[in-house]
Amino acid sequence: MLEIKPIFNAMRRSKVGAFMLLIQIAITTAIVSNAAFIIYDRLQYLQQETGYPEDEIFHFAVLTFGKDRNLSQQFEETETTLRNLPGVINAAAIQEVPLSGSGSASSFGINPTTEQGREGLEVTAAYTFGDEHAIDTLGVKIIAGRNFEQDEVIVAENNDVMPNVSIVSQSFLDEIYPNGDGLGQTIYLGDMPMTIVGVVDKMKGPWLRASIADNFLIIPFVSADNFQRMVVRTEASQRAAVMRQIEDTLLAEYDKRVIVGLQGLDESKREYNASDILMLRMLVVLITVLVLITALGIFGLTVFNINKRTRQIGTRRALGARKSDIVRYFIVENSMICIAGLLIGSIAAVYMGQALLELYSLPALDHNYVAITAAFVFVVSILSVLIPANRAAKISPSVATRSI
Amino acid sequence: MLKMKNINKVYQTEKVQTHALRDFSLDVEEGEFIAVTGPSGSGKTTFLNIAGMLEPFTKGQYLLDDVDVGTLSDNQRADLRNQKIGFIFQGFNLIPDLNLYENVEVPLRYRGIKSAERKRRIENCLEKVGLASRAKHLPQQLSGGQQQRVAIARALAGEPRFLLADEPTGNLDSLMARQVMELLEDINREGATIIMVTHDAELARRAPRNIQVVDGQLADFTLYQSRPSGVVTPANVAVEA
Repeated sequence: MLEIKPIFNAMRRSKVGAFMLLIQIAITTAIVSNAAFIIYDRLQYLQQETGYPEDEIFHFAVLTFGKDRNLSQQFEETETTLRNLPGVINAAAIQEVPLSGSGSASSFGINPTTEQGREGLEVTAAYTFGDEHAIDTLGVKIIAGRNFEQDEVIVAENNDVMPNVSIVSQSFLDEIYPNGDGLGQTIYLGDMPMTIVGVVDKMKGPWLRASIADNFLIIPFVSADNFQRMVVRTEASQRAAVMRQIEDTLLAEYDKRVIVGLQGLDESKREYNASDILMLRMLVVLITVLVLITALGIFGLTVFNINKRTRQIGTRRALGARKSDIVRYFIVENSMICIAGLLIGSIAAVYMGQALLELYSLPALDHNYVAITAAFVFVVSILSVLIPANRAAKISPSVATRSI
Repeated sequence: MLKMKNINKVYQTEKVQTHALRDFSLDVEEGEFIAVTGPSGSGKTTFLNIAGMLEPFTKGQYLLDDVDVGTLSDNQRADLRNQKIGFIFQGFNLIPDLNLYENVEVPLRYRGIKSAERKRRIENCLEKVGLASRAKHLPQQLSGGQQQRVAIARALAGEPRFLLADEPTGNLDSLMARQVMELLEDINREGATIIMVTHDAELARRAPRNIQVVDGQLADFTLYQSRPSGVVTPANVAVEA
């Protein structure tokens, strides 16, 4: 016996509290389902595969002020010193560190740029210079073609002579040569031709949030400069220990230089994603607070209703209501408000999702999130009503005969 | 029909122990109309609450239709109340958000009676108390006397054999009080047993049997109107120790 009709009639006659709660449940449902979806989306983003074993890799830069060194040779000596450290798997000179938020990008074409511009397909991608150890050091996998040969790496103080090969990410290759015949073909950086000699399955560029995050190239070039960035891969368990001795080891070898920006790749990624992580935490707090407030609202309204209806509850008990009838009464009453709120909230959630999609180009709200949120809010509402309803059931039927 | 033997009720608070009923014994036969009087705080309402199973007693034995109430679970007591007992309260205790029809319906719903049968009974009972035309009204749209008549209709709807009335006319003026009393007398004539707690001596005198509760104990003045002499004599004055 659910008493839906009399409960509904009674609610219609004193509707303010019920209406406020209904609105609160609707707002909670709309906001929580969208926030939960955004959280999920951001988590997917933060946990995405980048292609790199981030916790095995670190990077730093060497700024040389001594004038007595041959800079074209220094990077190789440094690489050798690094490789001799226990725990180090490989080390390479590299111009830009992936995932770090800082790098270079350009458009690459299947034809060279001329004074009239460029004909044919053009694809934007990030790129970095690096030597033949870069692929192994970054821990990425060549799935087709080959690595650079040592003699393909050009070490120079200027850009007069540029390499004629490159290794590209699969994603870039699929875009610039959509027919799947890209390996061995030529691409142009400006008017500079490069043959694609190797393909890496996954290798994210410097900007994870960018639409070109998956388009990344490595070009075999080392700038013989007094500023040289190095990347090192170690056993994961050894990385901290290796990082601690980098400065001492390199300065012991040659001390007219400084080591700057020593950082793990995972940490660089975290810094780049700091705003996303912050947003994620704020959304989690927002959701928690909203759900708590709604739960408290339901709890409060039920307590208020029970206090207001103490005599009524006693009378119902006197007229034959079992304790379970009283608990059921409040659960049914709350469920009716809740279901109405959830219906309105779910519609609002969908509209809100569309607005977010248009205003902030967020991905389209997955409607499962609305359903799951609605179910969750419903369960929370039942739990919130149970405690006061059980208290109500304990009201003695004898209050019915007590004078007011 | 109702047998109470040496019922004791003690209210225990941290510091004070109040003996509301002391070795209270009473037999009520089917079809009786009993008025319970006594000074405030004497234990009248406690007696009524225990008789109606609205609260438990501390010691003693209470048989209602040969059922030992002391052994029943909370649910069994609720069901028994619902089936056998109709309550009429001083403050009417109608549910303000429900209209008259829905108010009378409450005990019938708890009994699980089907909708058509509910409708028949509700209409009958509202008819009997003269308020059939106002079924859709809310309690606050009625006078006190009318509200009490709705409460009586609610008590009657379950067709109880036993009607407990707690100061049913306490909040009514004398005209309305008389009408309510006449209604109760009608109901009694139709066979229901009635126990009515009242302050009103005049009203009490209209009941065939009067009992007085003093200090949680019983003084029974039974007046049989059917006596040929018509003389009102205290037939049985017993203060049970």
